[in-house]
This record gives sequence, C-alpha cells and structure tokens, in this order.
Amino acid sequence: MTAPTESETLLEVTDLRTRFRTPAGTVRAVDGVSLTLDRGRTLGIVGESGSGKSVLSRSIMGLLPKRNVTCEGSIVYDGREISSLPPAERRKLWGADMAMVFQDPMTALNPVIRIGRQITEGLRFHLGLDRRTANENALALLRSVGIPEPERRMKQYPHELSGGMRQRIMIAVALACGPKLLFADEPTTALDVTVQAQILNLLARQQRERNMAMVLVTHDLGVVAGRADDIAVMYAGQIVEKAPTATLFANVRMPYTEALLASIPKLDEPRRTRLKAIPGRPPSLIDPPPGCRFAPRCPYAQERCHREAPPLRESEPGHVYRCWYPVGVEPRRDGAADRTDTPTPTGAR
Amino acid sequence: MAGTGTAHLRPEDETLLRVQDLVVEFPAGRRKVHAVSGVSIDVRRGETLGLVGESGCGKSTTGKAIIQLPRPTSGSVRFEGTELTGLSGKKLRDVRTRLQLIFQDPISSLNPRRKVGDILAEPLRIWRRGDRSEQLAKVREALDAVGLDPDVAMDKRPHQFSGGQCQRISIARALMLEPELIICDEPVSALDVSVQAQILNLLDDLKERYDLTLVFIAHDLAVVRHVSTRVAVMYLGKLCEVGDPDAIYESPAHPYTAALLASIPVPDPAVRPDDEDVLGGDLPSPLDPPSGCRFRTRCPRARERCAAEEPEMRAVGPDQFVACHFPLVGEGGDGAGAPAAADGDGHADQSARAAGSERADGDGSDGDGSDA
Repeated sequence: MTAPTESETLLEVTDLRTRFRTPAGTVRAVDGVSLTLDRGRTLGIVGESGSGKSVLSRSIMGLLPKRNVTCEGSIVYDGREISSLPPAERRKLWGADMAMVFQDPMTALNPVIRIGRQITEGLRFHLGLDRRTANENALALLRSVGIPEPERRMKQYPHELSGGMRQRIMIAVALACGPKLLFADEPTTALDVTVQAQILNLLARQQRERNMAMVLVTHDLGVVAGRADDIAVMYAGQIVEKAPTATLFANVRMPYTEALLASIPKLDEPRRTRLKAIPGRPPSLIDPPPGCRFAPRCPYAQERCHREAPPLRESEPGHVYRCWYPVGVEPRRDGAADRTDTPTPTGAR
Repeated sequence: MAGTGTAHLRPEDETLLRVQDLVVEFPAGRRKVHAVSGVSIDVRRGETLGLVGESGCGKSTTGKAIIQLPRPTSGSVRFEGTELTGLSGKKLRDVRTRLQLIFQDPISSLNPRRKVGDILAEPLRIWRRGDRSEQLAKVREALDAVGLDPDVAMDKRPHQFSGGQCQRISIARALMLEPELIICDEPVSALDVSVQAQILNLLDDLKERYDLTLVFIAHDLAVVRHVSTRVAVMYLGKLCEVGDPDAIYESPAHPYTAALLASIPVPDPAVRPDDEDVLGGDLPSPLDPPSGCRFRTRCPRARERCAAEEPEMRAVGPDQFVACHFPLVGEGGDGAGAPAAADGDGHADQSARAAGSERADGDGSDGDGSDA
C-alpha cells in the first residue's frame, strides 16, 4: 500500500479556527486546532458537548453553512491544500475521498427516499456507475455492513428500520464510494449499548479491510479507549491533550483529562464510592477566560493559570498537552509544594 | 404467570412499594404494543432500585405505571399498603404527592415561560402548604439543597440555565412536597459525563438528607451499579434478573445481563473490544414478542425449550434471581427438561461465564486473543 508517491500522512490540519457570528457575539467554536492523521489510522476526538469536536470535523469536511461562519487555517488533504477550494471543488472530495457518519441516523437519512437510492446516489454521482452496477454494489455494501435480506431493505424507507439498522445504512452510504478518510461523529450515541458494540466493531472491521483512516468523535472515553490509535481531548474549542492511546491513559498530563476519566462511574470500583465530579461547567466560547480555559474548574489551578494561556507542550514524542502544571511531572510536585510555601492561603491545613 | 413469577419479591410488610404482575399494553391499530408484560418488583424503604435495560424494554413505562400515568392494563401497585390501581380522583392525587418523578430531558420538563421560583412554588400553592413566606422559604431551601444559589436562580427562567442546572431544578421541584419515593427516569443520560457525576452525587446526598427511596431508571449499567442497592434488568417488557448489584455484576446469571455487561465500553486501552461477546441482532418488535423467553431470538444459549416455555423467576444465589431456563450461574437448573443439552453445552457455559465476569471485574487481561 506504500506506493512511492504516496506519503503516509493523509490529513494535516494547521491552526484551524472556526467562528460563528451570533447576535450574542462571535463564538470561537474551534480555536487553533492542529492535527495530523496517517493513512489507515484512527484518531479519537473526545470532548463534552460544546467543546467544538463536531464543528472541527465539519470544518475539515467543509460541511458548515457559509453565512455567519468563518473558517481559517490550513487543511492539507492527501498533499493538497483544500481549505481555500471553492465549495463545488470541496464537494468533489465527498464520497470517494472523505465521508461522514452522523450521530442521528433518523435525521441524516432522507425519510421519503428508499434506502436503495440513498446508497446508489453517491455511487452514480461520484463514481459514475450505471443503475445496475450501482444496485449490485449497494447490495454488496448492505451485506458487508451486516444487514439481513438486503434486497428487501433496498426497497424500504428509513422509518421501517430500527435505530441500529439505520446506522448501518448510514455507514453503508458513507462507505459506498470507498473513502480514504471517514469521519464518525458520535456514531453510536443514539444507540443502545449492545447495538453500540455491534456498530463500533463494524466500523473497525470496515476500516481494517479498506485501510481507511478514521476520525472517531465521541464524548465517551470508553468508546475510543480500545479503538483509536491516537486520542485528542478537546475542551472549549482547543485540543488540550493529544497522545497515542496507551500513552494517554498511562501518563495523563492534562488535569482536564484526568478529571474526565475520574468522573466516569466504573464497574470495577466499589459500589457507591463518591464520584469525582468536575465542579462548574465549561466556559463561554464567546468570551473565554484569558488564561487556561480549564483553570476555573481545575483543582490544581494557580495564579499563572488564570493569567496566561498555556501553549501546547510536548512531554514525550507525540504527547502534547496544554497545561502549566501538568499531572505527574516533577515540577508539578514541586509546584504543589510551592503552593504550601507561597503566602496564598491554601486550605485549612 | 410465566416468564415472570414473584420468587424475588420480599414479604410485603417490609416493602414501601410493591408492584406485582404489572401489565401495560398500548393499542396500535388492531394490534397491541406489549410494553410491560407481567413485571413484579418491590422496593424497601431507603433502597435504591436500579431498573436497567435498553430502549424499548419497558423500564420507563414501568416507572410511569407506578404513579398511574397511564394506568396499567392489569396488575397491582401497592404503595405503603395502599393499592394505587383502584384509586382515583382526590385519593390518587393525595398519594401522588408522596411519589415524584424526575424526567430525562431536564429542559423540556420545565415550563420555559415561568420563573424558577414559580415552578418550584407551584406544588406548594396547589396543596396550600403554608403561607406565602413559608413557601418562599421552602423554595429557597430546596434550591440551596440542589446546589443553586436561591438569590440568583429564583427569578430566572429555565433557558438561562445549562442542562445540568435544569436537572437540579427538576430535582428541587420533585423535593417540594417532601415525597417518600422518587422515580428518576434516566436523570443523567442527557448530561455530559462531568456534569453527570455532579448530579449522581447530588442524588446520593439528597437521599441521605431527606430519607428518600429511589427507583433509578437508566440504560447505563455502570451508572446503575454506582447508585443502586438492588438492580432489576429488563428486556422487552419482562424482567430478566433481579438482585444484589455486586452479585449480578460479578457473575450475571442471565445471558442478556452478561451481554449487556460485555458491551459496556471500558475506558482502558488494555481492554480490546472483540466481536465474541457482542450480542447480534436487534430488539424484536413489542407488537409481536417472541413466544417463550423473549430474549431467545438473540440468546447464544437458546434451545427448543426456550421457545416453548416461558422461564420463571427463581433464586440462583442468596439475593440473585433469574428468569432463564439455562442460567450462567447455579446448577443447570431444575430443568428436567433438557439435562443432556445442558451437559453438552457445559463447556460453552463456562467460557461464556468467564468472559462475562472478566469484563465485569474490569480486568483487562482477556488472554483470549480472539480479536485478531
């Protein structure tokens, strides 16, 4: 697969900034995000609602409305700068190059068009297949995403199928033209746990078979833990920590990631232990705090955190974080000691 | 009552709420949706009963049928010895003040046009509890109890609050009439994880402070385990398994419980998800549920007997009850029905059970390597 002309990097995003103009002010939904993704790899983007994770993937795809939206920064896809392309050119990339699986399969599928046509539409438009070949391909796709009786399903409408089935159809639609890059935006949030596991396994299998790169956007660290090669944690429009999955879980640096992990109820914990909730809520993206955006909720925040925004720093190859006093780093322990030394009163002790 | 049974119910004088053979059916054209088909559960004072299942299993319908919204098709709901199904008018309204409900979507369950102070004071006004200043004091106390600043919150409207804060307001509203039992219908599933933990902790605090009994309905097994003192697992309108959460999570007896536990994503990269334990297929239609055991169409252990005969609830441990002919725990069953089959399957049983409990322990070393 390593053709001499192909570089390993499929997607390179640099300093992406997406802003929405609203009556209340400019919302900086994505504020200076950079990332790279190699062919066939999976990047997990984790964040809570409002962290900008969905806007990020839509910005890269070019799916945002034109009115009242500005999108700056560079997006290099397969060696080509695509951020400056006109919408008609961007659209040519959809299908065969990049595709997206949306969260809610009911609203993402057209309710008045039969399943078959929703799948063949892309095949005929992007790949120029004739009706019969497109139909044959669609049937094969439905089979490969595990849909029983594909001939019958082709003639049905979305409302006749269950949520899990619809999400399989969405995946079939997205995979139809063999994209090199798949965005899965909370693909299982609307589904039940047993079905969620089926869908995630299906995505993983398809990805392996097609050597497709995938951006898996989710709010659930559990979903990406066993499936992503790298994980980027977003908070208030920025990537606050990014690392290979094993590294991230082994050496969490960013207090937000640590807090997020701690707040999940776990099966192996003794029952009814108190959850470590993160106090407060995410900041407004219209007027984010001047310093670290997590500082108002951070248990380790010190004066500098409220004043100065920390840059992304690298602790080991591939592991970056945005914190002045990272978790588990030597100066941090000193910092903790510092705190008791400094005249600022810190607690009763 | 096949498929359900009442072996898991405790003596009635010990329980605050006792639901027996609850059936809820909704008309759908000429057919019927069998939403709840003979569910029996009980709750002791001070307990938290976790009612778990996937969407469409009837867990919310059960919760609502307890407060007679709508009235169940048949069955009995006894609260403090009073039969609710026969009550109407004033008597029912009286009882309902002691039973409250918290809904899933905190924003749509609050009237957007009213101020938070008015929303909270309304139950007091309707029931003429105290004069105006006493009511005000009560509202302030409730807001304070749920962690909102009364001075700030009273005069705002719901849209000025975040989802988590709205859920706090809903909880405050449920507390106004000093209920004994609160039915929480997916109270945290619309919230972000960090906020979810805040609300779970809050419910725990309030339970202590006001001596509450909770029925906690949720689809998230980890959340349910965290809050519950007793767990009931539902599937397609039936109970699968009831009992002590530690017992159930450590060694699930019902294949459905095991599958549910196995499909929880674990936030640990060492746990590689694999296809092995994942349940295939979809939920059958509640318009036409399968005969016998309702789970049999997706069950890896299903045999002929499961289609012919509905399993009854029976004990497999000190406080663990299961409705399954071939449970994963306990002896192959009283089933004289298919001893040979049970034997022949002994191997698969063992491994399935091992896989299930391994997952439940969160122990990542799944040395099985079958996910290659």
